[in-house]
Amino acid sequence: MKIKEEIKDGIKVIRLSGKVISGPDLMDLKTVFQASINDAMGNVLLDLGHVSWMDSSGLGVLVSGHTSLARNGGRMAILNATKKIHELFIITKLITIFETFTDEGEAISSLKE
Amino acid sequence: MLKGIVLRVPSEDSVVETVQTFVEKIGLAAGVSEEDATSLSIAVMEVVKNGMEHGNGGDPKKHVTIYIDVYPGRIQFQVDDCGTWQPKADLGHEPGEGEELISSRGRGVLIARNLARWLDYGLNPEGKTRATLIWPLI
Repeated sequence: MKIKEEIKDGIKVIRLSGKVISGPDLMDLKTVFQASINDAMGNVLLDLGHVSWMDSSGLGVLVSGHTSLARNGGRMAILNATKKIHELFIITKLITIFETFTDEGEAISSLKE
Repeated sequence: MLKGIVLRVPSEDSVVETVQTFVEKIGLAAGVSEEDATSLSIAVMEVVKNGMEHGNGGDPKKHVTIYIDVYPGRIQFQVDDCGTWQPKADLGHEPGEGEELISSRGRGVLIARNLARWLDYGLNPEGKTRATLIWPLI
């Protein structure tokens, strides 16, 4: 898994690529979420457009990030979940708690509200 | 025909991706499409991770053993751990039912069961937990 971060219109955008699965890489993602909270970057856009697969551990880190941000008054939105990742969100019912977008501009506008 | 393949791994997170890649290659060799081979490997990996965690308590000295056999029309994976746990009995309900939605854990069996066409838990001849996952070759 690769992680890239950027700030766009005041919103932290985290772009993931590769496999988001069990292993040491997931600790890096946890750290990125925690840094967003520490830096008071309340709202985060998570771009999954180049994620080939995600397992239950990866989903767990996303849920944990979503919950931690919410506890600190922030929001996490998901951009460009592929069909397979979207299916995972449906299987696990996480589709009901994640905000999902396919347009980056629209996602950022929503997070700025 | 691929038969009698046995993979024995310690209960360590660091081996999980290797197992996933190995299973993906077995799937491709057996005729599973590239897209489905990843789904297959993720399903098996979820079962293996559960064995490591729930059956072996994450103890690296305890192993998970994966028996792989390709039959006409299907691949069979039997995943044995060192425990006696059963998902439904341990949880008190089927995985995915009755859990808190925002829990960061507890989705492995649910994902594996949805990705694979068949996943069942029982005991092996030694009385230890055995998960059997069947993937049809269409």
